[in-house]
This record gives sequence, structure tokens and C-alpha cells, in this order.
Amino acid sequence: MRLSTGGHRLGTWVLLGLLAVLAHQFTLWALPRWIMDRTVKAIAGEPGSAPRRPPLTDHTQRRVVMPSPDLLYATCAWDVSHKPMRVRASLEGVAYASLALYAANSDNFWVTHGGEGPTKAADLWIRSARPAAGQPDAPAGAQVVVAPTDKGLLLMRVLVGDIDRDLARAEDLRQSLRCG
Amino acid sequence: MAQTTGTPAALQRIRPASPRRWGLVALLALLAVAGGVSSALWRANTPDKFGQAAGPWRVSLLAGSVQTDSLTRAQVALGGLLALNRTETMYYVARHDSQGQPLRRRCSYRIKGLAPQGAWWSLTAYDDDHFLFPDDQRRYSINSAQAVLDEGQRFGVRVGASEPASADLPWLPTPGEGGLQLTLRVYRPSAALQTDPTRLEPPLIEQERPCA
Repeated sequence: MRLSTGGHRLGTWVLLGLLAVLAHQFTLWALPRWIMDRTVKAIAGEPGSAPRRPPLTDHTQRRVVMPSPDLLYATCAWDVSHKPMRVRASLEGVAYASLALYAANSDNFWVTHGGEGPTKAADLWIRSARPAAGQPDAPAGAQVVVAPTDKGLLLMRVLVGDIDRDLARAEDLRQSLRCG
Repeated sequence: MAQTTGTPAALQRIRPASPRRWGLVALLALLAVAGGVSSALWRANTPDKFGQAAGPWRVSLLAGSVQTDSLTRAQVALGGLLALNRTETMYYVARHDSQGQPLRRRCSYRIKGLAPQGAWWSLTAYDDDHFLFPDDQRRYSINSAQAVLDEGQRFGVRVGASEPASADLPWLPTPGEGGLQLTLRVYRPSAALQTDPTRLEPPLIEQERPCA
């Protein structure tokens, strides 16, 4: 009887240990998704809404950690579970500009840059990796980016290395962003 | 004759678990879950173990990457959400000076290094919470468009709470008490840096005078 009681006790501790490990792993998995969900809502609103164009970052910005004060940002939230979304933006005339796509788990799965690079403008369609039957597709010949998750965030960055010299042109580029 | 285990009498002595016992197990399970969650949050918030070291700077090849592991993803979500992958940007973060001492706002530091190889770069000071220090003159960072390089292509900047006596280098104010971190961003880094980020000649971070 002692042996079976000891066996039960050992089994209980093993199960508790496994439970702790599972909780640890689940937390690591869930944390970026939870943070991303909250951040997207705070800085980009609901999918389908107009691009957000916050002021040039300063010390009062406390929504996203480690913001760069040298970049002008624009954001769009996207949800391609029902149909793809078109994105257009000019990326030329500045030293650096980029469009980046982030999945719901915060991974940066796609990026293009302009400025001194070869890309002068972006015109692409974001599509679900698992489109439902009957879902409309992007036009033939269009640049298509397949998203690993149906929801995510688009972030446009435009360099403002010198405010007096660069801000006006950077703002023009930011205003060119169209989502949907 | 002695009774052996497995006899009906022995089996009868094994009582079914009581409600009290189940309550104890449930409490232990709750503690196990809490322990697992706490350990994950603690581990995700240990920047000194993040990525690889390049002098006093730490950098990860996996920040922002779809190939990253769950721990790195969680660390980046907490301390650098919306990081770009390494083909676009590399992030070097320092929380200690070149002597291994934690960076503190009220100390004065001089950072000097070779301009990184990339399309452009910036060096920014952040507080413990990863946000910018208050400054109405927007002295938050220096970047490659503003930095004055010496004949060896080296840049220099001062960081600290008190304005330096000399204006030979730009100064990033870090008012208040507590720690600070420096982030060196290299946009469109060279292929060599993308492959081995420790190839960056790490900028030196040196205290200019003893700081209690």
C-alpha cells in the first residue's frame, strides 16, 4: 500500500510539473498574439478603416515601445478572411521608405522599401493563405502577398532624417497610402 | 499468514480521494499554472539573455522573423514590437556600458563608433519602459543624416542627464533616475551584418567621469 501511495504521489507531482511546463509554453505562444491584438486596435483601429497617420513621434507617444523619432508612420489594420485587400503607396523621393506587413502573431512576414531602392511605388494585394471557397481573388497579374494569418497590420515608415528638409516630402508619401 | 498487497483486505484500505484531497490537488494545479505563466513572463522579460553579444550591445538575427522561436517572439513583443526582420533592419540594444556596468540616466556617457554599414542608421536613447525621454528640443537620437563623422568615419554622441560642458558632440538628454537603454538601428544592413551581426564593430560606451 505504501508503494501505491508513493506512486500516486509521484504521478501527481509529474502531472503538476507537466502542467507548469504547458502553462509556460502556452504563455510564450499567447503573449505576442495578445499584445499584437491590443496594439493593432490602438494604433490602426478596425480592419477596413482609413489609414492612421499619427504625428511625428515624440516623448508623448507611449502606445508602442521603442518608437523611432526619425520615422513618420502610417498604419492600416487588415482582415483578408473574406476578400483580399489592395494596398498602394508611393515610396520615392525620400532617402528611405518602407511598407511592412505583420501577422497576428507579430511576425514581419513581408517588407518592401523605396527611397534609394529600386521600388518607387507599391501596389499589392494581401490575400489569405486559406481563402474560403468562392472568395474573390486579386486581379490577374497583380502582385499578391499571401498572409500567414487572416488579420494583421500594415506599417509604413518614412525617414525624416532632418525635420526641416524631409518632413514635407515624408508627409506627401504618407498621404499616398491607400488600404482597401 | 501475512497479508500481501493486492488482497481484498489491502485493497479495501485504499480509500477513494476525499473532497479535501481534490481541493488540495486543484490548488496545486493552480499554483503549477501560475508558476508556469510567471516563469514565461520572467523569461520573456530578460533582455540580458536576448540574442547575441557584440561588445556591450545585444542583437538577434531572429527579431521579426517568421522563423523565430516562441521565446524570441515573446521577448520582441514585450521590448520591440513591430521589429522588422534582419534583411530590412538590425537592432542593437545596449543596457550596459563597455565595462559591463548598467547604464544609468544620471551618469554621463560618451558613445563612439564606426558608422554602421547600411542604407542609414540611428542611435536612440530610451528609458526603462522603452519610451523616449522628455525633451522639447527633440534630442532623442542621432542618425546618419545628422552625424558628423571624423576622418576615420567614426561618429560620437554623449548621453546623460546633465548637459556636457563641451559641445563637440551631440548630446541626448536622459533626465531622471533609473536605467536607460540605447538602440542602434541599421536599416538595409550589409549582407555581412545580416549573416553575422557580431561583425559590427561595436560602438564603445564609456562613462566620462565616476558616477555614484
